[in-house]
Amino acid sequence: MSNEKIVLIALSILYIPLFLLEFFYYIKLLKRPKLNFKVTFKYIIASFIVIIIGILTLSHTNYLNYEKPIPYKDYNNIDFKKFKGIELFQKELFGSKYFAYVVTSIEVEYEKDSVSIISYFHPSSSFVYNKESRFKDLLKHELYHFKITELFARKAKEKISTFEKISKKEINIIVEEIELEERKFQIKYDYDTHHSFIYNKQIEYQKTIDSSLLTLNNFKNPKIKVYEN
Amino acid sequence: MKINKLMLILFVAFIACNNEDHKFPMDKRFWSTDDYRDAVTELRFGYNEDEELPNFNNPETKAIVEKLTDTENFNVVLQDNELGVKHKNEVAQSFFTVWKDMTDIYDILDKKDKYTYELEYLETYKFGLELQLSYFKLGNEEILKSVDDPDSESTKRVLDSNISTLISNYTYYLDLVNSENAFSENGKKVYAESISEYFSKLINNHPNSDYSELKSKSVLLISKSNSAIIKNSLEEINNLIDSKKIKSIDKTEE
Repeated sequence: MSNEKIVLIALSILYIPLFLLEFFYYIKLLKRPKLNFKVTFKYIIASFIVIIIGILTLSHTNYLNYEKPIPYKDYNNIDFKKFKGIELFQKELFGSKYFAYVVTSIEVEYEKDSVSIISYFHPSSSFVYNKESRFKDLLKHELYHFKITELFARKAKEKISTFEKISKKEINIIVEEIELEERKFQIKYDYDTHHSFIYNKQIEYQKTIDSSLLTLNNFKNPKIKVYEN
Repeated sequence: MKINKLMLILFVAFIACNNEDHKFPMDKRFWSTDDYRDAVTELRFGYNEDEELPNFNNPETKAIVEKLTDTENFNVVLQDNELGVKHKNEVAQSFFTVWKDMTDIYDILDKKDKYTYELEYLETYKFGLELQLSYFKLGNEEILKSVDDPDSESTKRVLDSNISTLISNYTYYLDLVNSENAFSENGKKVYAESISEYFSKLINNHPNSDYSELKSKSVLLISKSNSAIIKNSLEEINNLIDSKKIKSIDKTEE
């Protein structure tokens, strides 16, 4: 569903009852109640806050078109159709209306003798200006953000595997540190490639990321064995 | 009543925040040709006659003219080896079209027939000189890619003709010597330096081209100019042209 349609539906939900209410007052089916200004004002403010929270929530994750996070093993199934997030505020990125962004994360799942560190792509929080976009370079740039997340997830697993025994707390600290490094790297990637505009830099990064992923191929499997302290 | 007052204050604040007359995409790291088109139109037609244009002396508007004349805006695309020649050539052509309008922006003389914005005027020219080196190079590269026989006489003629156009375009820059009195001493210095810099690049990039017209114009201007620093630059490029000729004669003799 396009962003415009979603906005239209949201506004309709808000306005149609108001119009109906006014219409019923007009045909005298309902009697207009006597309103206390202060009370009405409070209700308006409360409604406004609820609407703002709703808009912010939808802007963060599109629950109207929700799809659960996609793990890195399904990387090849991601195309712009999977970018289901909605953007209600930003219409341009650095002056370009042809923009996209991707939301990824590193998740840790503990099991009895092992820990799974998985990188995820979040379809309902990732946005593209047009799902039918023919700009493959834009998609590639965004997907390499996901590859970066996977790269750092593998780095976390590599680091954890060096410990003979490790506690959950230590694992969490390692993952937090790695996430911090990842964020810095993602920012540098965007700056250096200027969001894929500097094409030779984009290619340079792609090669570096791919070769780094290959170097850490031993940590491709999300699950690693751990012995708790 | 209180609410009405609040609304009024908010409304006034809103108006106060919107008093910016001229808009340039200063938050963008690189300006595209679309940005240039908008900026050039704004600078040419969006300012009142008595209004000061962005210039290097005004700390508030300095960044605009710096951005406008920043060659990185096109070099980031034209120097990118990963991009295709055809694409780069299209971008270069768009920049070239925009640049032709750019040169009008600061071509303003005051009552004493002095350039009001001499440094800005020269910078916009330098932007174009740098751009043309890449633009014509890419044009010729694209021709070489598209022809069946890159070594054929007809191809060579087209390539040479393009370089002749480039040299002619550069030669127009020397016309400014005729209006050297419109420059301050500092302006003359900057102009002379730009002649040395860009004409050296041109001649070194295309050492075997025909510079006879350029040289004869330069000889005439040397005798006309009253500025020692401009004369020096012109002599410098004449010497460079001669040195390339000697080298090509040596090569032929070998």
